[in-house]
Amino acid sequence: MSTALGKSVVATPPRRVSLARRIGRIEPVMLLWILLIGALLFLVAFPLGKLFLVSFETRGTGAFTLSNYVTAYGRARYIEAVVNSLTLGLASATIAVVLAVPMAWAVSRTDMPGKGLTWTVVLGAFILPPYLGAVGWILLAGPNSGFINVFWRWLTGSESPFFNVYSFEGLALVIALNAFPLVFIFVKSALDLVSSEMEDAANILGAGTWTAMRKVSLPLVWPAIMAGFIIVFLETIALFGTPAIIGIPARINVVTTQLWQFFEYPVRVEVAAAYAMPLLLVTAGMIATQKLLLSRKGYVSQTGKGGERRPIKLGAWRWVMFAWCAMVGMIAVAMPLFVLLQASFAKAWGRGLSLDNLTFANYYLLIFEHDMAMTSIWNTIWFSATAATIAVLLALMVAYIVNRRLVPFGEVLGFLALAPFVIPGIVMAIGFYAAYAAPPLSLYGTAALIILAFAARFLPIAYANSSSAIRAVHPEMEEAARILGSGRLHAIRMITAPLVKKSLLGGWLIVFIVASRELSAAIFLVGPRTRTMSVLLYDLSEAGNFEVLAAFGGLLLVVTLIFVGIGMKLVGRDFMLRRG
Amino acid sequence: MTGITKRTVLGATAAITAAAILPARRAAAQTYTAHEQQLYDAAKAEGEVTWYTGQLQAQPSEAVGHAFTDRFPGVRCNVVRTTSQVAFQRLSQDYRASVAQCDVFSSTDYSHFTFLKREGRLMEYRPVNAAGMVKAAREAADPDGYFQVTYLALYLLARRSDNLSEADAPKSWRELTDPKWRNKMAVGHPGFSGAIGNWAIMMRKAYGEPFFREFARNNPQVGRSAGDPVTTLNAGERMLGVAVPSAATLFSASRGNPLTLIYPTDGTLMVAAPSGAIKSAPKPNAAKLFMEFMTSPAYSEATRGFYAESLRPEVRPPEGSRPLDELTLISPTPEEVENGIPEVRELWRDIFGV
Repeated sequence: MSTALGKSVVATPPRRVSLARRIGRIEPVMLLWILLIGALLFLVAFPLGKLFLVSFETRGTGAFTLSNYVTAYGRARYIEAVVNSLTLGLASATIAVVLAVPMAWAVSRTDMPGKGLTWTVVLGAFILPPYLGAVGWILLAGPNSGFINVFWRWLTGSESPFFNVYSFEGLALVIALNAFPLVFIFVKSALDLVSSEMEDAANILGAGTWTAMRKVSLPLVWPAIMAGFIIVFLETIALFGTPAIIGIPARINVVTTQLWQFFEYPVRVEVAAAYAMPLLLVTAGMIATQKLLLSRKGYVSQTGKGGERRPIKLGAWRWVMFAWCAMVGMIAVAMPLFVLLQASFAKAWGRGLSLDNLTFANYYLLIFEHDMAMTSIWNTIWFSATAATIAVLLALMVAYIVNRRLVPFGEVLGFLALAPFVIPGIVMAIGFYAAYAAPPLSLYGTAALIILAFAARFLPIAYANSSSAIRAVHPEMEEAARILGSGRLHAIRMITAPLVKKSLLGGWLIVFIVASRELSAAIFLVGPRTRTMSVLLYDLSEAGNFEVLAAFGGLLLVVTLIFVGIGMKLVGRDFMLRRG
Repeated sequence: MTGITKRTVLGATAAITAAAILPARRAAAQTYTAHEQQLYDAAKAEGEVTWYTGQLQAQPSEAVGHAFTDRFPGVRCNVVRTTSQVAFQRLSQDYRASVAQCDVFSSTDYSHFTFLKREGRLMEYRPVNAAGMVKAAREAADPDGYFQVTYLALYLLARRSDNLSEADAPKSWRELTDPKWRNKMAVGHPGFSGAIGNWAIMMRKAYGEPFFREFARNNPQVGRSAGDPVTTLNAGERMLGVAVPSAATLFSASRGNPLTLIYPTDGTLMVAAPSGAIKSAPKPNAAKLFMEFMTSPAYSEATRGFYAESLRPEVRPPEGSRPLDELTLISPTPEEVENGIPEVRELWRDIFGV
């Protein structure tokens, strides 16, 4: 696969004949290295570089200009969108941390009951695509007919709604409810490593459970909390579906919806590119800040000495913690899913649960009358599967080369593989559009373009996963094989590959699942034949027909759950939530 | 993409159920004109047509696609239904990438077609069937034959009949700026819907920019498609739909939803929405055949069930719609549309923020 990919994408540099013999003697691993560099340049560096160049080009002629930046930032409305995005990112990340950290602490460190349930909640929120959560919350908290507000009015006789989803708070909360699992996963796996002795020491010195948590356990996992915060922030500012579905009625414009406007006729890729550049600076700045803040070090929680881990006994408080987890589960998963399910079988969702409101028409329409719905399910599955395969194979090879230090400058590969992590999906898509849509490659409207964009976008996940898998296999086993006469590739095939198989499968499934719901990277790249479920959902959402949307969302969840089920069976129950 | 095998794999169970429940789609013997037959033979070799449309809502658009394939078995219709501005955006992206994917383009923004024609992007093809269309459709078509009118769309007010009585309801567009409609209205977005762009042009012409500021103060719920308010009303989220398509509203009401149309005294908006075959169409014969289909009675039969106005004298108008000559109609001229839509779109975004 990778060889084929490499061959097709690497522009073979002109080699001098005198070098031919030397090349002939190069270890295969060097060739692989060159191919990988080529693949990564193609997937990551070139689209980004093109985006950067295009931001200085005049539309049509390609002459150098700064006017794109003037246009992109020349209107109050456009700047306001940037401010909105940043504020929204901070708000959502804060809410996500507030929701997730107590949960992570309770699951990792205490004797709280119902931990399995909490896991289910986190997994559920992780699986639910953001735009479906958004639709669910419109049904729950639409100011007039949302179920929560109807109930509130009935209870209190109040005129005004309890919570209006079409507001800044609504948007921030809905995003956070979908993104908090990221914080949970980070913080929980960090807390898992903190040994009880540290808390014991605090207890001996007179600190109670809360003080110990506040002064010892949480500060120790501060880097994890911060990493979670930053990821949610980045996810939020890159999100397109939720702001389009909730933000337009709420009259809130954000960067992604503004980028979309630059794609209206006449398609102003140049202005969009210019508009996206500061976004990249912001993300880079975030990462730099994180590095700076954590550079003091001193977060060592793992030592060579024992490290017993005992759950803290919370007494009656364990029910308070449980209530918190249950509450998050209700608002993040149970309630949105319930109303979505109700709507998917409803003639009009606002009419509530009653027999005369029951219909199968929404499913019927999608399965039998909608030509594209079924095709889009198939597209989603095979695009995501192919992208996951490319990402995992590429990541595995890079991780192997980097970790075994087989070539000089291996870190460059690692850096390129991780770079897409900080690039918002929609910006990446614009880069792909600018770089590969038009001739000479003319990939616009082809499956290849979407697959490559997905593979590039989720390469960091695959890389993190592969890298930790490879690190866990000590080279001595391979070395033993090589001493006995095996070649490197043979040793990899017979020894390393079987050892990392399981965790790679886990990584593959995670990439598959996140790719299968990806909207922002697909929205500018799909053609009439290559629409994915997420894009079709977005198209359907234009007319606000939430009943059909909910039914389609139901189908999407079924597809996802099948793959999650396979993953749990093959890789282990917590494969989605393990930190790579 | 080999759609059929894959769909079979996917919807295996569903398909079996369907085969049991559904009456097999009647492969009724179709009669074709000599011209249609000729195009059909050529189109069969092409196998499919890709249609970008922003005219009818998603469900009727899919139904049109099926009706086409029913009439011309062997030629699939690949329906890409979005709002008109998004459809045009996708078409522009195709052009920008120099990739031809669209065969026939339909929208509710007339200026898309004057523009495409000027840029030489449209195929010069006057469907033979177009000669038999109703006068309103023939008159609004391109005199040079580059595009035809395939949707005579009416946009008006709709109320929730169960909680807004006829007496209390507004009678005109003008009244929508009355503070008593605060938080009660829903409307589409001119940045997405071509129809709402047309409507905004007419409102600006009649009542000036202050209309939008006062309208915005009443906090209508802004969706994207002109048809969005229909579902917002059905859900009970709002009670008054502004500039909603008559077809989608009547269709929804026929399904038991408590919706009633209001014909504004200051004019029902009529939009003559065109369709044209694309010059660089990858399936040129299928594109021509689809244009023939859309101007034929079969198309008006198919859309009649969804309450679209008939475009053919031999197809009766849909149940419950008022005859066009009884209505006060307002329509922007092609020039007004061409200059006006970009302006009202910006105006709207400055006022509404999105």
